[in-house]
Amino acid sequence: MNPVWRAEAAFVLAIAGCAAAPPVESPPAAIAPATAKQASASAPPSKPASQPADAKAPAKASPAPPKALALAKPQVSPSIAPKAEAAPALDIKSLEEQLKETKAIGVMTKLSLKNQVDDLLQRFRDFYEGRLKTTLAELRQPYELLLMKVIALLQDADAPLASAIHRSREAIWAVLSDRDKFSKLA
Amino acid sequence: MRRRFGMLLLLVLATTLAATAALAADDPKQRQDLAAVIALQGLPCGEVVSYVVKGDNDYVASCKDGNRYRVFVNPEGRVVVQKQ
Repeated sequence: MNPVWRAEAAFVLAIAGCAAAPPVESPPAAIAPATAKQASASAPPSKPASQPADAKAPAKASPAPPKALALAKPQVSPSIAPKAEAAPALDIKSLEEQLKETKAIGVMTKLSLKNQVDDLLQRFRDFYEGRLKTTLAELRQPYELLLMKVIALLQDADAPLASAIHRSREAIWAVLSDRDKFSKLA
Repeated sequence: MRRRFGMLLLLVLATTLAATAALAADDPKQRQDLAAVIALQGLPCGEVVSYVVKGDNDYVASCKDGNRYRVFVNPEGRVVVQKQ
């Protein structure tokens, strides 16, 4: 089982993308700043939920938010605030553990997913090294497809994990689509 | 004499049980796992109704739609699905 768990860890690190890449700005996983930026871009209040996944997040946060968050923000320290608002933000370590322990998918499925993640990463590698004539937009499709497969496998038996992965899609893509960040990951 | 016969019977019984277990297994979670792996490869199956264990991480799965696949992990660590 050891190789399997290592494979899972690699899988998690691969799809999350943030573990190897030192957060550019602040610790709470580059995801928080990324999501925070998105949030500020769309709706200041925020729950980084600028994402479509918002539907899930207590929508009440959106309209009322400005005041609510204005009040809430000062109460929480900067390092924690992103976490609180980005409740959606992904804790890499926690995700790794959850994937290792999840009973939603079996060993063979985990290995198979890991194979597909490795293949996708290789395509990115080839793209950045000029061996693959394609565009980032075209690479987005297989990326989204793979994430959908993972989410589909997890959603019934491990909905929280599926949800967490869903919410981190943009953050993961931000790492994959950035040459520098990707090189650190690879 | 009786003791020998009893031991022989026990041995035969144990061997038969072991052989049966090796030939066909029925763990619902394993069936689900195999079905998921086959689906991940984009191959038609629907539902794995039974499977046979050929070895460590080596199975032959029978699908509801009549397809049979061998699912195994190759030496490079890749999960391979072969139609039988």
